[in-house]
Amino acid sequence: MRRILIIDDEDDIREVAALSLEATAGWEIIAANSGAAGIKAAAEQKPDAILMDVMMPGMDGPTTFRQMQQNPNISGIPVLLLTAKVQGVDQRRFADLGVAGVLFKPFDPMTLAQQISHALGWKD
Amino acid sequence: MSAATDKTTALLAKLWVKIQPIVEERFAVLDRASAAAAQGSLPVELRKEAQSNAHKLAGALGMYGFDEGTRISRELEQLLDKEVPEPARLGTLVGELRASVTPKP
Repeated sequence: MRRILIIDDEDDIREVAALSLEATAGWEIIAANSGAAGIKAAAEQKPDAILMDVMMPGMDGPTTFRQMQQNPNISGIPVLLLTAKVQGVDQRRFADLGVAGVLFKPFDPMTLAQQISHALGWKD
Repeated sequence: MSAATDKTTALLAKLWVKIQPIVEERFAVLDRASAAAAQGSLPVELRKEAQSNAHKLAGALGMYGFDEGTRISRELEQLLDKEVPEPARLGTLVGELRASVTPKP
């Protein structure tokens, strides 16, 4: 079973993503409400992938990603950024960070698991 | 429709009801910003708070099927990026945003 870590400061986004991935794909979900909590959860629970919001108070998604890359225990976990920014310049900036992919809010709860699988090249 | 889709749809409907207080808080900030702009005195902090709330609504409403709400929220977010957003347009969009998530009788 896949295990996904969702990092987002908004409770409802975490809840919708979690119920979506649990119900439609049967994946196990771990959730964290900040970048710092996400780094800790990633180190402790070693998820198969991380879905992380870009705009969070305190440490934002790109900063959290850069910190993860400096930790050899978690630097190999693929990270997908989640953003409501629709402008191309923002999308390119996020992609240039070296993340595995960028997904957009609002996501469709019925197809979120497919989007993640597609972005990560998962066949199952 | 599959059982997983049915289950997800039902859970989303419950979650939409659960988050109404949050949605109302975000609308209230937009209302305050709109009222302040109409009086010609929209403080920078309130404008930025309203822009942040519009951004969050843009990212959330479409998950619940309110695609028009997401579109209007994005327009509001862009409008509130201006130092002096046009008051009439701001008021119109805030009204349209509320209407877009209000069930029709």
